[in-house]
Amino acid sequence: MRAALADALREDERVFLLGEDIGAFGGAFGVTKGLQEEFGEQRVLDTPIAEEGFVGAAIGAAWMGERPVVELQFADFVACPFDMIVTVGAKTHWRSGQAIPLVIRMPSGGGVRGGPFHAGSPEGWFVGQPGLKVVCPGSVEDAYGLLRAAIDDPDPVLVFEHKRLYRSLKAPAPERGHRTPLGRARVAREGEEASVVTYGSGVETALRAVDALGADVEVLDLRTVWPLDGAAVLGSLARTSRLLVLQEAPRSSGVAGLVLSLVAREGFELLDAPPALHAPPDTPIPFAPELEDAYLPSPESTARALEELLAY
Amino acid sequence: MPTDDATQPCADVPLVTTDERVALFRLVLLQRLFEERALALYRQGRIAGSFYDGRGQEAVAAAAGLALGPDDVVCPLNRELATHFAKGVTVAEAFRNFLGRGDSPTRGRDGNMHFGVPERGVFPLVSMLGDLVPVTVGAALAFKRRDEPRVAMTFLGEGAFSVGDTHEGLNLAGVWQVPAVFVLQRNQFAYSTPVERQMLNTSLAERVYGGWSIPCETVDGTDAVAAFDTIRAAVERARAGLGPQAVEAVTLRIHGHAAHDGAAYVPQELREAYADRDPVERLAARLALDGASSAQLDQLRTEAAAAIAWGLEEAEASPAPDPSTLEDGVWAAPLHGL
Repeated sequence: MRAALADALREDERVFLLGEDIGAFGGAFGVTKGLQEEFGEQRVLDTPIAEEGFVGAAIGAAWMGERPVVELQFADFVACPFDMIVTVGAKTHWRSGQAIPLVIRMPSGGGVRGGPFHAGSPEGWFVGQPGLKVVCPGSVEDAYGLLRAAIDDPDPVLVFEHKRLYRSLKAPAPERGHRTPLGRARVAREGEEASVVTYGSGVETALRAVDALGADVEVLDLRTVWPLDGAAVLGSLARTSRLLVLQEAPRSSGVAGLVLSLVAREGFELLDAPPALHAPPDTPIPFAPELEDAYLPSPESTARALEELLAY
Repeated sequence: MPTDDATQPCADVPLVTTDERVALFRLVLLQRLFEERALALYRQGRIAGSFYDGRGQEAVAAAAGLALGPDDVVCPLNRELATHFAKGVTVAEAFRNFLGRGDSPTRGRDGNMHFGVPERGVFPLVSMLGDLVPVTVGAALAFKRRDEPRVAMTFLGEGAFSVGDTHEGLNLAGVWQVPAVFVLQRNQFAYSTPVERQMLNTSLAERVYGGWSIPCETVDGTDAVAAFDTIRAAVERARAGLGPQAVEAVTLRIHGHAAHDGAAYVPQELREAYADRDPVERLAARLALDGASSAQLDQLRTEAAAAIAWGLEEAEASPAPDPSTLEDGVWAAPLHGL
């Protein structure tokens, strides 16, 4: 992520970063470490604790043709500037033709004992909101490539970076300038018996589950969760006829509903089994290790869900 | 309408030239006559939805708009039609938006004052009070980053002073020292709630300076000449790099919040206090004292009325929006497969 930000800052003087503690401190997760030193305080701007304020200011700067990249300290805090994002960010182009090229990055997801205010997966709040784009990288290559594509894009793009993946994913950085196209899913693993449709941390979880099972299962990494790459979902289902949707957000929120509604409407005849959903219960994410471990989908619980689907 | 002898003329501020006074008069007349015509259309059912106007506040809108340069940008709210006109928005464009036409600034997707014309530097209004304060600060931040001698302006009333976004935006403006100008429309009411039920310290100027160290002068918002002089000075201080500036313009919102609201909650004594302070007539009285003949003033009124009539005619000839285009432009760069 840091390489993507540094390259974008280097290549386009309109790009600037703003957020809490992103300067000398380098951000709560260290993503912007060293960037202020390299690019200066005008390009890497520390803000007061004022999410509505600085997201709104980023919208204003985007209106003037800048390419602001906001960091929220935790994705849970996107509740604060929600109004700015859905009211001003999302509707302005449709209402007036004025593009708002804004990127908001935020660490989401659990597995770090963060509890209800520091480990949530609120991407579903924005799924279905006309005018926004929502991406959730699930690989190192896409962490770079989706962020670069988001910064290039003329629309507001929300980037949910899974905080566990900051440390768990290890791969060589992609070639400088690499872009992952927005709106395109990727087959992370090919298979014929079933499809796991997932994103973000779910990709790693699904790959490990499939490895553990030794089953011939396709893993589809949505990458952009809104707008949905519906053709890729239906294409995968056409190959496998069985669907498991895997997400870390509560089961009734966001992305899963979108995928399942699409499949019910347009993929019904492709199905050999009822589509399955593996996701946490409809509660906020809990803190205690016993609770959080039980709450989050694991490779083991995902493998069990897959076994049930394959046995149908 | 002849100037009432009881009307208090606008102040004679030497820095405001005759041409500027006439330009202000054209602007307040345009807003007044546009809103009178549009309100009639609304009552006839020819304008759908709701209707807001800025009667009694035209001088502030005109003064603020005229104080801006061609490269400055502004986020008006719904009492500032004259600001749009000052920035080059046409009468026909405004009427098209009220009428919901397919070629209106919002292509029929939004109505009444909920529009802007970005290519003229006017951001489309959003209804959530306070939202446009940080947006204005961000536009000003862009100017500062690029070292451009431009200013971003927005308006906010007592109602917006109770909203958190306003505080965050004013704070950022101060911390970042950006060229933003905040015109505080102190029109006495937020919908039906009087100012003393919204804040203990009812001086907006004191709060803005005391809270965020943003210089703020208070001016009589029914006096277009004084308001222009004060707002222009604030704009030029911001442009000169002296950081964010504010002006508190005191007026009375003569009509209700919207057309359905008779504003019966406004005390009679307050109405009486403003009876001789109609912004249009105060400026007419000033121009008369300056030596304008009643024929010259009548000529300006006639021209404004004609501009309103032509603009409405043009707007009414515009096509209705086409429902098949509704999904166009949701995204600037749509993704495949939607």
